Amino acid sequence: MKTQELVELLARRAGAVAPRAVQRRLAGAALAGLVAATIVVFAGLGVNPQLGAMGASLVLKLAYIGALVLAAGWLTDRASRPGVRSAAAAAALVGVVLAMAALAFVALIDAPAGQAGSLLLGSSWRSCPWRIALLSVPALALLLWAIRTLAPPSGRIAGFAAGLLAGALGALAYALYCTETSPAFVLVWYSSGVLLSALAGAAIGSRVLKW
Amino acid sequence: MRAQSGDEAAYRSALALAATRLRGYFLRRMRTQPDDVEDLVQETLLTIHLQRATYDPALPLTAWLHAIARHKFIDFLRRHGRSAALHDSIDDVDESKLAVIEHDLTARRDIGKLLERLPAEQRQAILDTKIEGLSVAEAAARCGASESAVKVRVHRGLQRLAAWLRSES
Repeated sequence: MKTQELVELLARRAGAVAPRAVQRRLAGAALAGLVAATIVVFAGLGVNPQLGAMGASLVLKLAYIGALVLAAGWLTDRASRPGVRSAAAAAALVGVVLAMAALAFVALIDAPAGQAGSLLLGSSWRSCPWRIALLSVPALALLLWAIRTLAPPSGRIAGFAAGLLAGALGALAYALYCTETSPAFVLVWYSSGVLLSALAGAAIGSRVLKW
Repeated sequence: MRAQSGDEAAYRSALALAATRLRGYFLRRMRTQPDDVEDLVQETLLTIHLQRATYDPALPLTAWLHAIARHKFIDFLRRHGRSAALHDSIDDVDESKLAVIEHDLTARRDIGKLLERLPAEQRQAILDTKIEGLSVAEAAARCGASESAVKVRVHRGLQRLAAWLRSES
């Protein structure tokens, strides 16, 4: 077939691109993954009965996770398109973590002597990152599936970004169960869970995100 | 980009222009195997078509196009086990000046033949809408499927063609 004929064939009845098509595909996958993780928390772990009484610490926790979701979502969108710079989105992500680190640092300094250790480790530091990573599995699978239909310049980076987003969504679901209140705990152990998911995403992404 | 909003004529001329640019881009990098150039141009055009949603209108089109062409070129080298380092120094040359004007180049691989290997309903959907020029609604009425089913068949069929082009070359 001649190239000119191929051009004709492709152009005919090509139709319009749905507005924000990439965002929609990613958001659909993210939402479905969040719903799946929430169902697992309700069915498997159970919701923390004291959730309503946690007050400001819960708000801060959710604000941190929410900001992570937004920044990681932005990064995932950038990393799924060819010829696009991801630096601004990556910087936003680092900024979110640094802001939380500043708050956690202040809280640790303010703490009475001898309490810093318990603020950092809480009572569930051993299980928290692993549970978050496990809860991120459905979102990660769906996001990678969605990105397979897009054109990431680097499968590893796009997989890493998708893993960050999936991890943040898993953390959001996990917050329903978690009883920890310390910002330092959230910073260290929640972020570790998100990072686990991101590393898994990078490893899988470099293999499956080819186009 | 008007072509992205469904203006068929604008999209056609954008694709034709892209083909010319791509031909120049690949020719400069593949002097030793000019036979493969047109195959790669067609494969890249198909990718551009399937991936046109990933273009962000707020950003320069050339960067997007260049990234896809580069990806396809590296992919090609990887499949053929040749060193990418050989031709990388002339990245900044203005491609429009180097572009070949011939519009009649034929690829060695025939997409027309590949089309015949598609599942019947995907091939029919592509032939009806793309070659005969029926609207999606008319094509849907002809084969008794819904409009969205026809659109999905066209898309899947083109995706399969792109996958075949990748694996065959």
